[in-house]
Amino acid sequence: MSATLPPPAPAEEMVERLERMWQSRPGVIGWLMTTDHKRVGLLYFWTTLALFGAGGVEALLVRTQLIRPDNHLVSPSTYDELFTVHGMTMIFFFIIPMTTGAFGNYLLPLMIGARDMAFPRMNALSFWVFLGSAIFLYVSLFMGLAPNAGWFDYVPLASRKFDPGPNIDFYCLAIIFNSIASTLTVANFITTIFKLRAPGMSFNRMPLFCFAFLAASFGLLFALPPLTADTVFLFADRNLGFHFFDAAHGGAALLWQHLFWIFGHPEVYILIVPAFGIATEIIPAFTQRRVVAFPLVAIAELLVVFIGFGVWAHHMFAVGMPTIVVVFFSAATAVVVVPSTIQVFAWCMTFVTGNARFKTPLLFIAGFIFMFVAGGLTGIMFLAVPFDQQVTDTYFVVAHFHYIIFGAAVFPIFGGIYFWVPKVTGKLYFELPGQISFWIIFLGTNLLFFPMHLVGLEGMPRRIYTYPSGLGWSSTNLAETIGAYVTGVGILLLFANLVWSYFRGAPAGPDPWHGATLEWTISSPPPEYNFAVIPKVSSAYANWDVADREEDRRKLAAGALVLEQGHEQPVSSPIDGWFSEIVEMPHDSPWPILLALALSLVFTCLVIHKYVVAGVMVVLLGLVLAGWHNAEPETQ
Amino acid sequence: MSASDYVAGGKSERLVPRTTDARNAREASALARRRHGPSPAMWGMAMLVATEATLFGAFIGTYYYLRFKSPQWPPVGTPEPRVVVPLILVGVLATTSVPMQLAAFAARAGRLAATRAFLALALVVQCGYFAYEIHDLVDQLHRSQPQDNAYSSIYYMLLGADHAHVAVGLLLNLWLLGKLTTGLTMYRLNATQVIAFYWHAVNLLTLLVIGTLLSASV
Amino acid sequence: MTPRLRLLSVLQWIGILAGALTWTGQHVVGYGIGQAECAAGGMHWGIENDVWQLTLTACAGLVIALAWVCSLVVFLRTRGENYGDGPEEPRIPQGRLHFFAVAALVANVLFLAIVLMDGLAASFGVLCRQS
Repeated sequence: MSATLPPPAPAEEMVERLERMWQSRPGVIGWLMTTDHKRVGLLYFWTTLALFGAGGVEALLVRTQLIRPDNHLVSPSTYDELFTVHGMTMIFFFIIPMTTGAFGNYLLPLMIGARDMAFPRMNALSFWVFLGSAIFLYVSLFMGLAPNAGWFDYVPLASRKFDPGPNIDFYCLAIIFNSIASTLTVANFITTIFKLRAPGMSFNRMPLFCFAFLAASFGLLFALPPLTADTVFLFADRNLGFHFFDAAHGGAALLWQHLFWIFGHPEVYILIVPAFGIATEIIPAFTQRRVVAFPLVAIAELLVVFIGFGVWAHHMFAVGMPTIVVVFFSAATAVVVVPSTIQVFAWCMTFVTGNARFKTPLLFIAGFIFMFVAGGLTGIMFLAVPFDQQVTDTYFVVAHFHYIIFGAAVFPIFGGIYFWVPKVTGKLYFELPGQISFWIIFLGTNLLFFPMHLVGLEGMPRRIYTYPSGLGWSSTNLAETIGAYVTGVGILLLFANLVWSYFRGAPAGPDPWHGATLEWTISSPPPEYNFAVIPKVSSAYANWDVADREEDRRKLAAGALVLEQGHEQPVSSPIDGWFSEIVEMPHDSPWPILLALALSLVFTCLVIHKYVVAGVMVVLLGLVLAGWHNAEPETQ
Repeated sequence: MSASDYVAGGKSERLVPRTTDARNAREASALARRRHGPSPAMWGMAMLVATEATLFGAFIGTYYYLRFKSPQWPPVGTPEPRVVVPLILVGVLATTSVPMQLAAFAARAGRLAATRAFLALALVVQCGYFAYEIHDLVDQLHRSQPQDNAYSSIYYMLLGADHAHVAVGLLLNLWLLGKLTTGLTMYRLNATQVIAFYWHAVNLLTLLVIGTLLSASV
Repeated sequence: MTPRLRLLSVLQWIGILAGALTWTGQHVVGYGIGQAECAAGGMHWGIENDVWQLTLTACAGLVIALAWVCSLVVFLRTRGENYGDGPEEPRIPQGRLHFFAVAALVANVLFLAIVLMDGLAASFGVLCRQS
């Protein structure tokens, strides 16, 4: 019982004990066995950056193939693999894992005053499974057997009849493999956000970043199963002789599209909502003002994902559905714009009524708002069915979604990297190269994606391998390719700046920006245990509540709420943040990477059609799971 | 100010239960009664249930989508599902929610022997159900195969997915019974509550799945 | 928590959840009806599409409007509360009640707009014309 608490020791002794408790194992073994959310976040960060590079190279190859008419830089089948893997990489292997896996993992516990995620070992597992799925996909690319039917892989093109090789089997299995990692991540996020907030941080006092990640997490949780169902059906059709999509036997090709877009549309909101969360933390820091209309921005984050589940068939306006069915999706598409608009207005008003300092992170956010509005405007145009039927499958659509994805997801990611890199490394980046990198990337992306609207309206289809001269598309494509390379240069400069500043940057200190949230109250980089004292929270802008931070210092001096008896973490009630219990967290463990290995074996056996061996590997998986759950907190 | 007087969000650190403080069943039960709302473990299981329920939702949606497209359902040549035996079976499975929930209550009350007894009872019935269902599935496969047409494909996919979730539940119960042979800790108390919740979800999903599949005979 | 606060809390949850769930139901059922009406094997129980859709829309619209009223009640009763207030004694939990009420007032307007737009269009559109 708690009555047996030892008498309070001097504060320094308690903190020393805390440090010993939470210290990771040294060396590579420490990284392979880590469950520390900050290390898992960093593992995600470097892996997704490497995959971003791969996706970028694929994009440059596609653009270079299209630089002039009748070009034959790569073969048509390679080209198909390139644009498919580019799309899959950027969506499943860069943006989602970068925002959720890297930013979310590193920052969420810090922002809510926790010492780790709710399920630290499952967190590590999600990374190793993600890595396995990325290797799985890229092995197929290096073997020349990569998915080649577009990132949405429509049947009947993707059926065994028209795509007989293993390419689409890789598609189905890579997607399912990756979904497992994402599902584990978001189950962790949701539980962490509801149960591990610092006592006193009621739901309405959560930072807006947390609302955004909660929305994205619920989105992924409910959007991924339809995609899993879809890919399971396709795998079964292709390899086990089932007939889900086969019209001759009572199946329906459109079934694929419905299930895909029931996943696919929420997915695109999931891509941008965490980025909104990043933006809503950068803006207060560089305007030194609370965000205007806090409850409206919070509900808008959740609404955009929720309503986004109801608009899926607007991707199918050209397939011939009855009008009385189509109207449900047109109406929802019209209204889903409103929550995003609420957020944009709130941010702009925050800019206008605050003291904006346009440092590099805020520049990227300004760029994001510009590109998001541009992409959003073309998006609303699609809700008009007649217009949509003209531009479906043309470069107009490619322009729209790249403005949104690059503008509304990648720009905040870049801004967020600049914003938080001083916290993670303890070094400031160099400001002038940072600003230059922003302008190069901004100009490059507009040169790359804006002309796509024009050439799309002129009829250039998407995914096209090459085009004849004399159509008036040549100079536009040339400009776009130049834009692509300019963007590439800007991105290289961005990362060169960060690498250089890691070695030569000025020390950042705990709070270089006077940011609003709890991560700025601790050292840079943060200690393993995050918070020496569980912080007192009175608002969503905890770092600006001076009285509370004073109280924390007094608590530390008195040795209160240091929780150094073990790997201790407070658990609170989900809505009002009442202090509920103190739990013991797991520490470094070999089980996550072992389980991910077992899972990789299962997927490998499935792709080579060795189903019995796959079954044996599933048994192995079960044994590893049993081993994982052998140790209990009380017996550690 | 001393450590024992600290108040956070309305509660003193001294009064908040620490999970590792419980050394036996009685202490674990006392701690469980003092905490606010479901444990993080329960939230984790709720997340799993949410994904699996959505997956089944996608399967059931597919069933009706394909059905609306077919003039004849089941198609000519495919037998209609039997109604009586599947209904009885699913009823038997659904009743195992009662001993599972009683096991969870017993764990929360710290009564180890009762927990084990209710779990064992539920497991016996569930194993019986599962064995019969596998026998029945093999029997059905002699009369129609998933490769026949879209109806059979979605029929066997739904049924197979349901059986797989029941099988996982059986393994969970076995694991829990094994753990409980050496006593009741907070961890095992949480596990009992969480696995009971899993079974309620599986039983409800099975009711929905069987209801969907049998609707072809209506 | 006092009984008054408990009641306000219930109203707050109705306000934030009922509208969302109702729109979800109207969307799924309305889409399903349209799909069934226009498909080869669709169920024909003798009730016309227009009747189905209008009834569905009317019921959904009514429930969402009621949810909006619930959140309005909570908003007015917690007027003057700071939505950033937390659970410290004695301000339990008016802050979060006010927060959810504000959010629900906006959300339910949006849900009502969707339901009215698509319900009326589905009721008065030409049946099964291909778009």
